Amino acid sequence: MPSWPVLASQAFNGLALGTLLALVSSGLTIILGTLGVLNFAHGALFAVGAYTIFVALHYTSSFVLAILIGCVVMLAVGVLLERIIIRFFYDRPDEDQILVTYGIGIVLVECLRASFGGNAQRVPVPSWGQGATKLGFLIYPTYRLQLIAIVAGLLIGLYLVLYRTSMGLVVRAGIENPGMVGILGINVRRAFLLVFAIGVVAVGLAGMLYAPVIAVSPDMGANFMAQSFVVIVLGGLGSFPGAIVGGLIAGEIISLTSAFNSSYSEVMLYALMALLLVLRPQGLFGTEGRA
Amino acid sequence: MSLLEVDRINTLYGDSHVLFDLSIRVEQGEVVALLGRNGAGKTTTLRSIMGVLAPASGAIRLDGKPIGGLPPSVIAGLGVQLVPEERAIFGTLTVEENLRIAALTAPKAWPLERIYQVFPRLKERRKSAGRSLSGGEQQMLAIARALIRDARIILLDEPFEGLAPLIVRDLVTVARDLAAEGRTMIVVEQNVAAALSFANRVYGLNNGHVVFEGTPADLEANPDLARDFLGVAS
Amino acid sequence: MRRARTFLPEFAVLLTLIIAPTVLNPLGFSTDLLTRVLNWGLIGLGFDILFGLSGLLSFGQAAFYGVGGFVTAYLLVSGTIGSVWLALLIGTLAAGLFGLVVGWFAVRRVGIYFTMITLAFGQMAYFIENSLLTTYTGGENGIAGVPVPVLGFGDHAIRVTAGLPMYVLFAVIFFVGYVLARRIVRSPVGAILIAIKQNTGRVAMLGHNVPAYKLTAFVVAAVYAGLAGGLLGSFQSYMPPDAFSIETSGQLVVQTIVGGAGTLIGPLVGATVWLWLRDNLQLIPGFAVLWKLVLGIAFIVLVIGLRRGICGEIAHWWSDRRHQAERRADEARTEAIEAHNIDAADAAAARRRDIRLPLAQPATADGDVALEAQSLARYYGGLKAVDGVSFNVRRGSIHAVIGPNGAGKSTLFKMLLDEVRPTSGEVLLFGERISGAGVSRAAQLGIAKSNQLNQLFLDLSVRKNLRIAALARSRGPLRLDLLRPADSIPDVEAQIDSILSLLDLVERAETPAHVLAYGEKRRLEIGMALATSPNVLLLDEPLAGMSPAERAATCAFIRDIARVCTVVIVEHDLDAIFGLAERITVLYEGRLLADGSADEVRRNQAVQDAYLGGLHAHEPA
Repeated sequence: MPSWPVLASQAFNGLALGTLLALVSSGLTIILGTLGVLNFAHGALFAVGAYTIFVALHYTSSFVLAILIGCVVMLAVGVLLERIIIRFFYDRPDEDQILVTYGIGIVLVECLRASFGGNAQRVPVPSWGQGATKLGFLIYPTYRLQLIAIVAGLLIGLYLVLYRTSMGLVVRAGIENPGMVGILGINVRRAFLLVFAIGVVAVGLAGMLYAPVIAVSPDMGANFMAQSFVVIVLGGLGSFPGAIVGGLIAGEIISLTSAFNSSYSEVMLYALMALLLVLRPQGLFGTEGRA
Repeated sequence: MSLLEVDRINTLYGDSHVLFDLSIRVEQGEVVALLGRNGAGKTTTLRSIMGVLAPASGAIRLDGKPIGGLPPSVIAGLGVQLVPEERAIFGTLTVEENLRIAALTAPKAWPLERIYQVFPRLKERRKSAGRSLSGGEQQMLAIARALIRDARIILLDEPFEGLAPLIVRDLVTVARDLAAEGRTMIVVEQNVAAALSFANRVYGLNNGHVVFEGTPADLEANPDLARDFLGVAS
Repeated sequence: MRRARTFLPEFAVLLTLIIAPTVLNPLGFSTDLLTRVLNWGLIGLGFDILFGLSGLLSFGQAAFYGVGGFVTAYLLVSGTIGSVWLALLIGTLAAGLFGLVVGWFAVRRVGIYFTMITLAFGQMAYFIENSLLTTYTGGENGIAGVPVPVLGFGDHAIRVTAGLPMYVLFAVIFFVGYVLARRIVRSPVGAILIAIKQNTGRVAMLGHNVPAYKLTAFVVAAVYAGLAGGLLGSFQSYMPPDAFSIETSGQLVVQTIVGGAGTLIGPLVGATVWLWLRDNLQLIPGFAVLWKLVLGIAFIVLVIGLRRGICGEIAHWWSDRRHQAERRADEARTEAIEAHNIDAADAAAARRRDIRLPLAQPATADGDVALEAQSLARYYGGLKAVDGVSFNVRRGSIHAVIGPNGAGKSTLFKMLLDEVRPTSGEVLLFGERISGAGVSRAAQLGIAKSNQLNQLFLDLSVRKNLRIAALARSRGPLRLDLLRPADSIPDVEAQIDSILSLLDLVERAETPAHVLAYGEKRRLEIGMALATSPNVLLLDEPLAGMSPAERAATCAFIRDIARVCTVVIVEHDLDAIFGLAERITVLYEGRLLADGSADEVRRNQAVQDAYLGGLHAHEPA
């Protein structure tokens, strides 16, 4: 039985990982729900985000400014991908969508490898996040605490966009019935572009914010993508609340299990998914909707 | 010039040919009923006008301008509004959100209060999720979404289907009021009595062809004809 | 000659395998590279049965490759088992067993879900290998020192060493694997898997156990991957941990798409391209890091434009050229039928047909009541689509269900064969409970349905469409006859011939279903239901979309069918119904309005009112 400080610190790690997975997965899930496209380039876009901040920090010393630049870059990447490739795949079978996004993922990762090499790069922790913070009996790295707060803030922001703006209204309606949205006079395809771009910015932001905590390499996104698949299977395909709750559950399971035996941590997550598939195949928040 | 002209359209649904050289016209301020058995092509006609199904040939004109082949979102922008048979309420959105999304792109959207005057029931339920509404409430909301857009032509597909008689009566009252205000509508309905109570003109459809055109009085004067395209043989 | 042509692909593959080391060597293919290509090609054979044939896109094949590899390598290196052959066999079986477990979870879901689940399980296997079982697998170090196989015993034993001997071993195994895979594709199981890819729902409705067949394909793919994994260790005398990685699964998918899915050798060709690019582009200065980028771009272009892949495009071009004349004739005939709205069926309508179905109907209890609905209800949320409907269908009769739109007819009809599960109440077929058993079990008990919207296997010929149906009757819900040809069951072929002549589609037997005229498609739709030799045949709007002449012909056809089985029919053409049906059940707003003989129903005032909506009762507008 691990000590309480170890458990508590793992719980915080779980929260940090969980919020991150929630952000990655919510990008994946709104694209899937609205456009019906399972984005297999999501992991690669996570890496693109991390490299964006790595490069931006060469030109500016301000972490915040670098993030903003990164967002603009990710927005551009999202818009270009949707305009040039994705939009021609809305009417094609699921498997073609999966294959083409997987291909995009390969190209993005290889572009990163060609430009920056295959070795891991380091992104420094921002000046305001140095050191550790004392939380009662626990000493915890400051940046990770801030990370939890920042990502939580971003998720609330995404929630507000989805639930408090007209655009969010269109997105949520589009997840249910894109045809009817069109009949009500709204250009669904334009909404699709926005949703894709938002999803890309969300996963890019996750990559940027997490870059100082993990090694930045071209293949860094693959495992996150696999985990975010598990998250949206847990939460229910296309469900935003499902992605948040699923992400937090996944993060805590990985981290708390590793407090007991680290070799079980990832395996536990997949075992949970298998269990849920038997007990509640539509996921925690799943409906009989589009999926 | 008629407000809406459907000119010899042919529409296919999957691999089956549903509409054959079908022509109808609708004047400003008129309520037109499309009657016929199931599978006669009534719903397909409405879906063709809305642009949900593109006709393979023929023309559809609004104010004399061709709209055939345009996407539904553009046709909706020109003031045509389909209220589909399955109602297609957004179940995860509240009543008010359903109305707001409908009003989003309408240039002369009604204020919510005006909708609530027509359908006080919707005001009571404005915070409820669409999926929790009863069948009658869903139909009110579906019609309300067309009204809030101040649509020039409302296409009502089976508005009374599966509703209790009392609710049908209320909805018929609303439809009559709208007709009296001069709102142009096309209504497809199995409940012939209800449809004829507010229609000015009737088209009878059979197997994708127009087999009858006239007024409700013509139809009443000729019950054999009605039976031909409506149903029960006796 | 015909036989020789049938085995042409096998000969071609054999020849290619023999000459490849000599011919391809100058092009930059070392013998070891070819052996590696064959290793990928071997996984690909199984993967193509799963993806190309059955349409199940798995992103987790690395798991089975890895299990086969590591089980084999561990058994050998730990000294548990001395014989490489035995270790390979156990490794392959282990992979198959793991495939059975993963597949059991995965085949419950379709499409996007299936792909995500296989990818997730692939990752799980990676973490099990890399952290949980490092004591056995060596974790990131892998297992070194895997021995090579030995042929023969004692002094005469030959070690299959690296280089050409290893190539020969791989080539022999690949060839045997290819021959077996070809037989699986041509077996009844293969035919059913192809049908599942085109229209899963219809295959289930015909009585096949769809999840079990999908699981079969999944296990076959796992076995091929496991065997290839086991061979990999011996080939490079080292079992690398990255066999389990997600990139391995991805590489397999890309190779299959590049080479051409559904061709069996597509993955092999794709692997040739991939490995050749990797080995040769790396030699060009400046290209060392770009080879995979080039491949990725080529892959995207292929998915956008040439979706069939290299072998698929060649095969398509070849078959186009060979069958062009036939195809044109088929299409011309379709146009003629549609243009003149005349059809062979019109001519045949007059004569009474002697229906004989070679496949026996399922045994049922003797009884006067064929089908019994007992207070059936189905609610959707608050909506009561069907609300407590009971009626009986007498054996050997034509029974109609009518009602205005929204009366609940289609929901009721779907409950009769358990396509939709009743909220309460149940359906009995000759006293046996149907409800809750599932649609494919219902079909096996002897109830078949033709659908309102055609559900044909559009890319398959008319004969093959009917075969899928007839196989369900002759083979039951599941049989794993993987190695016999699909067209080798005499009763099934006799059944198809008999149905073809009944449908007047004898001359169209080899025509793909999508080429048929609309009326022909409607007949095939009914014919498929009939080919399962049902006791009770449900017809959902059989006359929809037909011309008056076609309607008359179809009505005559339905009367003929009614002499061999009980018919229940939903139809809007009331004139036709009153001419056909002996008994009629009328639904209105989800409830039973009337139930009786055609005359009783015709005279029923409530029915008249329901249909005409009280035309005379309305107030003036």
